[in-house]
Amino acid sequence: MEFLLHRYRNQTVLLAAILAQLALLAYQVKSDGEVRLIRVWAIGAVTPLARVIEAARSSTVHFFRDYFVLLDVREDNQRLKTDLDHVRMENQFLRSELSTADRARALALFQQQSQSKTIAAHVIGNTTAVSAKVVIIDRGTGSGVQKGMAVITPDGIVGKVTGAYPTASYVLLITDPSFAAGVLSQKHRVHGTLKGQGYGTVLIDYVQSEQKVEPGEWFYTSGDDRIFPKGLPVGEVSVVRPGKAYQQIFVTPSGMRNGLEEVLVVVEGVHGPIPENPPGFQPVHMQDPPPAEADAESSALPGAPSVTQVTPARSGPQATDADKMVDRYRQIGEAERRVYGQSGGGAPNFNINLPPASPVTAAPPASPSRPSPSPSAKRP
Amino acid sequence: MPTVPNHDHLAQENRPDAARRLSQDDTRFALGRIAGFQYLTVAVFLFLLTGFWVLQVRDGETNSQLAERNRIKTVPVLAPRGKILDRDGRVIVDNQAAFSLMLARENLKDEHIDGIAAGLNLDAAEIRARIKRFASRPKYVPVLVKQDLTPADIAFVESHRDADTYPEMELVRNQQRLYPRTGLAAHTIGYVGEVSEPELNSAEFAKYSQGDIVGKAGLERQYNDLLIGIDGQRRVVVDSSGREREVLESTEATPGNSLHLTLDLDLQAVAELALEGKRGAVVALDPRTGEVLSMVSRPAFDPNAFAGHITAEYWKQLTSGNDNPMLNRAIQAQFAPGSTFKPIMALAGLETGTIEDHDTFHCPGGATFFGRYFKCWQKKGHGTVNLHHSIVQSCDVFFYNLGNKLGIDEIARYAEMAGIGKKTGIDLPGEAEGLMPSTKWKLRTQRQKWYAGETISVAIGQGAVTVTPLQLASAIGGVVSGGVWYKPHLVKTAAAAEPRRAEFRPENVASIVSGMYGVVNEGGTGAGARIEGVEFSGKTGSAQRVSNDLRKSGLLDKDQTSDNGWFIGFAPRQNPEIVVAVLLEGGEHGALAAPVARDVIKSYFDKKIRVTQQTTLQPPLALLHPPGR
Repeated sequence: MEFLLHRYRNQTVLLAAILAQLALLAYQVKSDGEVRLIRVWAIGAVTPLARVIEAARSSTVHFFRDYFVLLDVREDNQRLKTDLDHVRMENQFLRSELSTADRARALALFQQQSQSKTIAAHVIGNTTAVSAKVVIIDRGTGSGVQKGMAVITPDGIVGKVTGAYPTASYVLLITDPSFAAGVLSQKHRVHGTLKGQGYGTVLIDYVQSEQKVEPGEWFYTSGDDRIFPKGLPVGEVSVVRPGKAYQQIFVTPSGMRNGLEEVLVVVEGVHGPIPENPPGFQPVHMQDPPPAEADAESSALPGAPSVTQVTPARSGPQATDADKMVDRYRQIGEAERRVYGQSGGGAPNFNINLPPASPVTAAPPASPSRPSPSPSAKRP
Repeated sequence: MPTVPNHDHLAQENRPDAARRLSQDDTRFALGRIAGFQYLTVAVFLFLLTGFWVLQVRDGETNSQLAERNRIKTVPVLAPRGKILDRDGRVIVDNQAAFSLMLARENLKDEHIDGIAAGLNLDAAEIRARIKRFASRPKYVPVLVKQDLTPADIAFVESHRDADTYPEMELVRNQQRLYPRTGLAAHTIGYVGEVSEPELNSAEFAKYSQGDIVGKAGLERQYNDLLIGIDGQRRVVVDSSGREREVLESTEATPGNSLHLTLDLDLQAVAELALEGKRGAVVALDPRTGEVLSMVSRPAFDPNAFAGHITAEYWKQLTSGNDNPMLNRAIQAQFAPGSTFKPIMALAGLETGTIEDHDTFHCPGGATFFGRYFKCWQKKGHGTVNLHHSIVQSCDVFFYNLGNKLGIDEIARYAEMAGIGKKTGIDLPGEAEGLMPSTKWKLRTQRQKWYAGETISVAIGQGAVTVTPLQLASAIGGVVSGGVWYKPHLVKTAAAAEPRRAEFRPENVASIVSGMYGVVNEGGTGAGARIEGVEFSGKTGSAQRVSNDLRKSGLLDKDQTSDNGWFIGFAPRQNPEIVVAVLLEGGEHGALAAPVARDVIKSYFDKKIRVTQQTTLQPPLALLHPPGR
């Protein structure tokens, strides 16, 4: 058989093809299909390849088309960016000019209003050290600047001149750890010493625990340091904490809050008063109070202050037991309506009911809650 | 036959060239290496130069500051003085935090002194003189320039002690004396101050050094060695602003010992208030122990003003005028005791047998002795009076007669026995002796004989006899205690010193006490001092300060010529617990001084009631804390 197939191979193939054709024709006739089967086969065989080719073509076409389109967009983008940068720079420049003009106007106004003689200077650089807060200004000994002079802005103090050269000066800022200045609180007139901390806020030192300082209160220069004239704003109290020996009072300096480009060097300081109100304070208009009613009625109102005079505590915090004892016996004399050492009226009763003055180790005073003994009845 | 090329020949021919080329290559290579090395060297030097420029030029100031910031300093740690407490442990003198300025001599520049002086309102010459005085001491010992710095001073120091301005300024925190601001017991307590040059040359202060704070007066001086602490020191690394970076070595300060006084703040406060606005003194003693319960001298001064540097203005105020507030009148004012001397006269009369208790003298308002008429204070006279009534009514004529009979030396014997004319030995510096005249005394001091007429004045506490309030309190306290005199003292001691004793007949002492009781309780001259329920006894006294002639001359104003008012009182009548002497300079009459003693005595007994009630009402500890709980 194998021999026959090999020997009549052409005939065999032809025969097989004819038979297959016949079978397919029979299948097509029987299935009533409109599309010829060969076409179906052809399409079925070609479509995947065509799809791949089309995809490749399409991708290529799109790629090139997009590339050229993107090339334009990028150029447009670059152009727009450049334009925007120009506009921004112009805007910044205008803003800067405006700000400079404002500051210059503020400086000029401050210089006019201030009794101290000042000269304006530009900040032209700062030092490289991390912790040191030193800036360089464009005024030096040639302009009358001397070492130790105060440097301020209309908003407050900035620092002091630590080195003056012919055309420039070094200014130690108030935030530098080695900076210190005398200050005074606006509301309670508490004296202290400002110390730089190396960062944004400054510390007010040497304020004793019993002295009253509130957050939001303003500090001004006291003039004690012989650097700054009295009455210049220093800053607003941000934190008040009790300390070991002294309170920890942190103040946000006001002198540099609008940047530090133009400053004033105080060449001749004139001490001024501490303002009644903090900077930027706008008083609220208040109508006059209604006419007072009768005293009895007003005192009967809830919350009305008592008319009884309260004897102020005379023993201050810096007092010994001796002072408290004198105060106590003075109160006894007042309560008994006696003047010590005067004849007439007899001696006072020293065991009357008064609040205890101080703890007594061996002989504590009579308890205020206990009725005072009658001297005549219980005296030995 | 082909020719074979002779390579050896060629090699021989090319060898010099090759060698030359090789040599040239080596030279080039070496030259290249040298050039490379040179470039490298230049680069290294450029690098170093750049670094040098960065360090010295660009960051020169910053680096200079950094170098300056790290320095070693010796900081003294000043020891606080001991506290001064009253007998109940209440604080009379405390310490408070203060700041002092010191100048470090290690880096002191003379040209800075003027600026520092100007900033602190000091005299530059004085600072230089002070620095000069420290020349013999080690360089690391700083010079104390100003104590008790004000907030303004601190602000100046803090803002100028940076490396660029006055780095020699050192702010030292120390403990400063806090005295009663009312001047309470100012003379007794005294004050402290920096040891002076003359003091350093004295034996008392020889062990101290320049700049040391020592007691200058009162108990502060008397017990200086006890109160003063031992200073420590710290060697620290500080930055340019003086902040400590590292402690290398530390020796802690040893605080001084506290001083427990015998003073009672209750009595002291009352006595101070009773003398307010007056010139005089009050001394209250416990005659059973000699403990001083109260000691007041007015007008007083504020010792706090001395704790730092006293201002010239305040010093001028203290030293000008007639008030002399620096004088401790309790131990330094020596005045004639007036009629408060009469109990001692009575004792001398009774003990010597010169008079008996019932003996009488007639007082018509005066008497003539040795050709001179001596008036009694009662112009109309007291009539016939015995010893009791003579004390109650303070009849001068009775005591003129008694003095005349006794004679000055007998009077002096008993007065000196009581302690008149001698220092009591109280533990305070500067006590005055007073004076008890006698024939020997006059001969010794004036080379003159004593005239009997002089005795008449002494008999009523006038003439040459003078006492201090403390002496009077001690003397009378001992007499009414039966002749036992404890040395007055202000600091509590574990055991009282052995007292001086005298053998007096108890009935004689009782007679004197009875008379003094009558002064207050039987309508005598001290009736205004009577205290309901307290057996308070006493004796008034009025003593001339100037002669009648000088008074009439009008050369002195009334303030200077008015009589001194005295009162000496004690309670209770038997076994007295407290004796009070009061002096009112220019107080006119002893009756005006008596209410001062009355208030002090009353406060003493009122306090006893309080203490008793506290003890009674306080439940036993066992009830408060039962066992097992």
